[in-house]
Amino acid sequence: MYRSQKLSLRYFGAAVALFGVMIVFGLLSALYYLHPSLLFDVFNFSTSKTLHIDTLVIWLLMGFLGAVYWYLPKELGREVEGMWLAELMFWIFCIAVAIVAAVFIFVQYGSSNEFTLWFINQGRKYVEAPRWATIGIVAVMAVFAYNVVATCIKAHKMTGIMWVLVIDLVPLLVVYLDAFPAITNMSVDLYWWWWLVHMWVESTWEVLIGCVMALVLMDVMGTSRRIVEAWLYIEVMLVLGAGILGLGHHYFWIGTPEYWLSIGGFFSALEPLPLLGMVVHAIYDAGTHRMKTTNRPAFYWITAEAFGNFIGAGIWGFMMTLPQINLFSHGTQWTVSHGHFAFWGAYACGVIAVLYVAKQQVSGVNFLDGRAWKWGFGLLNLGMIGMVMGLLLAGMAQAFFGRAIGGSTLMAFTTASENPWFVSGIYARFFFGVIFAAGYVVLVYDLLTAPKHLPMPQATPEPA
Amino acid sequence: MTPQALLETAVLLGFFVLAGGGYAGLYSIGRLRANIGLVRAGALCWFTAFGIALVVAAATPLDAGWKLFILASALVYAAIPPMTWRYLERLHDDHSPEGAGQ
Ligand code: HEM
Ligand code: HEM
Repeated sequence: MYRSQKLSLRYFGAAVALFGVMIVFGLLSALYYLHPSLLFDVFNFSTSKTLHIDTLVIWLLMGFLGAVYWYLPKELGREVEGMWLAELMFWIFCIAVAIVAAVFIFVQYGSSNEFTLWFINQGRKYVEAPRWATIGIVAVMAVFAYNVVATCIKAHKMTGIMWVLVIDLVPLLVVYLDAFPAITNMSVDLYWWWWLVHMWVESTWEVLIGCVMALVLMDVMGTSRRIVEAWLYIEVMLVLGAGILGLGHHYFWIGTPEYWLSIGGFFSALEPLPLLGMVVHAIYDAGTHRMKTTNRPAFYWITAEAFGNFIGAGIWGFMMTLPQINLFSHGTQWTVSHGHFAFWGAYACGVIAVLYVAKQQVSGVNFLDGRAWKWGFGLLNLGMIGMVMGLLLAGMAQAFFGRAIGGSTLMAFTTASENPWFVSGIYARFFFGVIFAAGYVVLVYDLLTAPKHLPMPQATPEPA
Repeated sequence: MTPQALLETAVLLGFFVLAGGGYAGLYSIGRLRANIGLVRAGALCWFTAFGIALVVAAATPLDAGWKLFILASALVYAAIPPMTWRYLERLHDDHSPEGAGQ
């Protein structure tokens, strides 16, 4: 095993641990909806939610880093350049995350001054970490970029997937930087902050997961390199073509000019088109290899990724992306429903697939299957689907009663929050959240237990 | 937009993409298994998507531009699965000894 793959395993371990922390704070955040005065004056909802969504971003990022460190030496046929720096950065990353989490839990908030921005909380959703930690993350990403580029140079080798990855590293880093100057005009501040959040989740991360999935497909299904690469180029073009200006769907109501209503609506409504192509591709690939794979859990998680991306991002996003609808659905639990489904489908399932790829190699079995992973897969997906359906119901009730009928007044918000449709949706979220958490426990158990040595199925894929 | 029209329109839009996905899925499985019944069921899904687009155009309070956009999308949906499939097959034929669905 390469040294960088050992680093991957550490990244995967940290990612899975943070996934667990995320679930704990997700459940706690959901409890506040059932008992609004919970932990009053001790630990408020916003801190719990901050911990939930920041750990989401960090565990996925760690999963991506781990995946790239895993495949890089395989792809380029040599150890990753600058490993000592990469290893150092891993520990800096973990320590920074632990300190930031401790500050969020014990300090929570500060006065509105520079000190707070630097040391407590920057107040920007998804990336609340204070500035010092942000600089740390930039350093981690810069070293990661160096590792990738320097290894390509040293190896005198460049594959198509590597080109896409290297080019993607530039916007990945640059958009992260653009969101951190302190701008006092709220509209301008949000304008740039969305560059970060949207461009990460609907552009640069899509490309990154595209590269990772291309590598996994070659590994798990034996798909030929030239096929995954040709497909990757097309997918990247389509995703970026619609995704970049799809940014406009976040500019509807933040004080930006009116033309964003048309730009945002138009380009984001185009976004399901490449996702349809991905559905066809997933079925084609699965069928070509007659569902035969040496790693069944990874195969199922990749398939869940393709369909989850289409449903969570495509269908759930499209429902509320035209400005006339979004005027009412904006910022309700409807959005939350889409946020959960899309993140789960587009990214989380893909990262879990890579965890199983690593498990197979570490345990040295030729064929990975069993029973526990099926329970993990089933419970996690059932939990997620139950949560997003409950949230959709709750969000539609908010849009209907609180916004469209009630006219968005405080009274209307309160009335909508007491509406039985809303309340049952919120209970459903908690109930299915517990099922999801059970799925997580099984997933961790399965990842940590040694697999059985099973006979190889017939007609296994050929190596790429 | 009335409260009822809001929910109806959003649900129609959701089903529109779902039907498009149903078409893509059934068409692909049908081609894979050389099962004309499934390909036809896929076509039925596309007609459903197109029907939904017509209902959106005729009966919802969306602006005319969006209605046209949805109708145009329905037409593009029709082309995506066969085009993608042909492209994937060509890629496979060019680059690998295996073919799909044989
Ligand atoms: C036990 C499982 C989970 C529970 C109970 C849960 C619960 C919650 C709650 C209560 C919120 C706050 C909603 C609000 O502000 O009104 C939230 C936000 C969020 N969660 Fe989760 N969550 C869970 C798992 C996940 C997973 C697995 C993901 C992604 C893969 C995720 C992604 C998000 C996102 C993106 C937001 C922000 C949404 C927004 O503000 O629009 N959550 N979650
Ligand atoms: C990888 C794919 C995607 C991910 C991970 C994702 C995730 C999210 C998240 C987390 C939010 C909540 C942001 C917030 O306010 O905190 C959001 C909002 C939104 N997304 Fe997506 N999304 C994806 C793709 C799409 C697509 C394809 C569409 C359209 C077809 C779409 C349409 C929207 C819209 C309209 C909003 C704003 C909701 C509001 O006004 O409250 N998204 N997305």
